[in-house]
Amino acid sequence: MRLPDRVTGLFLVGLGAAAAYGGWQLPPVPGQPVGPNVFPLVIGTGLALCGLAIAFGIGHSFEEEEELIPVEGGQPQPPTGKLYGLRALLPPALLLFYVAMADRLGFIITAGLIVYATATALGARWKLALPLAVLAPIGIHLIFSKLLRVPLPAGLLPMPW
Amino acid sequence: MLKTLIDAFALISTWEVIIAMFAASVYGLVIGSLPGLSATMATALLVPVTFYLSPIAAIATIVAASSMAIFSGDIPGALLRIPGTPASAAYADEAYAMTRKGEAELALGAGVWFSAVGGIAGTLSLMILAPPLAEIALSFSTFEYFWLALLGLMCATLVARSSPVKAIAGMFLGLLVSCIGIENPGGVPRFTFGITDLFGGIEPIPALVGVFAVAQVMRAMLTPEPPPIPRRKFGSIMAGQWMLTLKYHWQMTRGNIVGIIIGVLPGAGADMAAWVSYAISKRFSKEPEKFGTGHVEGLVEAGASNNASIASGWVPSLLFGIPGDTIAAIAIGVLYMKGLNPGPTLFTEKASSMYAIYLMFIIANIIMIPLGIVMIRLASYVLRAPRAAVMPVIMLCCAVGSFAIGNNMFGVVTVATFGIIGYVMEANGYPVAAMVLGIVMGTMIEQSFVTSLIKSDGSVLPFFERPIAAILAAMAIGALVWPVLVWIWRRIKPAATAAASSR
Repeated sequence: MRLPDRVTGLFLVGLGAAAAYGGWQLPPVPGQPVGPNVFPLVIGTGLALCGLAIAFGIGHSFEEEEELIPVEGGQPQPPTGKLYGLRALLPPALLLFYVAMADRLGFIITAGLIVYATATALGARWKLALPLAVLAPIGIHLIFSKLLRVPLPAGLLPMPW
Repeated sequence: MLKTLIDAFALISTWEVIIAMFAASVYGLVIGSLPGLSATMATALLVPVTFYLSPIAAIATIVAASSMAIFSGDIPGALLRIPGTPASAAYADEAYAMTRKGEAELALGAGVWFSAVGGIAGTLSLMILAPPLAEIALSFSTFEYFWLALLGLMCATLVARSSPVKAIAGMFLGLLVSCIGIENPGGVPRFTFGITDLFGGIEPIPALVGVFAVAQVMRAMLTPEPPPIPRRKFGSIMAGQWMLTLKYHWQMTRGNIVGIIIGVLPGAGADMAAWVSYAISKRFSKEPEKFGTGHVEGLVEAGASNNASIASGWVPSLLFGIPGDTIAAIAIGVLYMKGLNPGPTLFTEKASSMYAIYLMFIIANIIMIPLGIVMIRLASYVLRAPRAAVMPVIMLCCAVGSFAIGNNMFGVVTVATFGIIGYVMEANGYPVAAMVLGIVMGTMIEQSFVTSLIKSDGSVLPFFERPIAAILAAMAIGALVWPVLVWIWRRIKPAATAAASSR
């Protein structure tokens, strides 16, 4: 996901300009010189200026490339394909899946699915992923629902406690 | 004084506090030792649990978990050359070189011993520095608070190990996030786009969990698993540490002092302290040629430094509500939640609670020695936990924890969103810590800024009229202009040297 500085910089310019414009549109507090509109205006302007500077490469020379620590014994090269980079989007997608389904399916089932998917994506065999998908949600449910009294959705499979 | 101390003892000698502290210590040791799970992440995932504890027990868990995690990051650094937390990255090579020379016990022992010493030194600085600073802070008006908060943000951008322009952009992004909601001077919905859930604004804690935990799981999806640790038997871990203390007492003291200073600086935390101290140690060592070949000197200094910064990072947090680092930013959130609102009056009105915090820091750093030794001995087992088993559990904790903060599914959406934001920022060299501090401090900056503007009737001059405000203003503006000046300077310099140094 390494994008050129020009892209991220210009994105920030757009975001900053939008923020400044949005702030400017806010209604002022009657009878006062400053209200909720000032801060976004300042921030938006600042952000847009930073974005411009980044797009033009100012400050780039300060960046230190992150050094990758080589591991001894050689490591398997990760497969590189077009879709491989999209794997990174799996965790947030699973969290959104939780938001969408937890109330209907209940915590235990949704959490089990999330655990199984994450573990498999990280290379676990079913021998590890399956017990984990059963035990981890129950453990978390025990801690958060029983001990800390977080109202986790019961759904289709309510726990006996 | 004595009565406050006794009160403080009474506050912490309850079963709840003792159990919470012990459990959080074990938790911090385990999370800190697993590569990729940082001390900040350990603390952030702990916050939902602190909701259900008494104020002192809640702070006890934060104190214990963060101190332990910073030490325990040294363990995989020494055994695998993979730092467990960013704070150990500075000297992971050195420690690993010692392990290869067969001195793993000495390296790990130095980690635990000098971490404990550093932590106690940091606590002493907190005890000594905070009360007099509180006296000064009592006379601060919104002008001073505005500049102080701005200075804090600027420090965070200066010390980031990346482009200062990107760091400032990250900070502005964080401030922009803090604009969302109706908690603004006019009480109007701002940047809510008609979404009711956004009216309350973005909570800092889910944002933090997203940026530090979800983004880490996302990165794990694309990076190969670290190699398993070879099983090994350890000899005596503490043997020789007293000798090292005597031999390198000056390096240790210097590490403590540097760590304390960096901790007090808002925004700069343990990882910065370790990098700076390791560099200082190498620069002033009598035998710099030994560095990198398994020499314990840098380990002593940097280990003493990063733990000292953890405790001293609480100084600006407790006094001004300005976090010394990302861990302190979480602590501030917990303090507010527990009715211990940061500010100079905390030291007069809730003096016994403050003493309780000092005591907990000292206790945490003392029990770090036995628990740390146990952890080192068990490390071969803990580090065997496959990543495919740890990360799914982290995911569940993210989902449940962010839900628990407001019993609201929107928290989970926030975590997922900030996971993506954090991942993209990190991949492109934008420091996420700057954004986090922006989110945490945004409301405070806006309030002091707008209140000051109203007081001054829209004029900018009063921002510079009070003496302390003027000094703080000069420092903050200096920090802002600095990257520009350096950039111009590099442009003016003769083209030949510029070409040689830039690429």
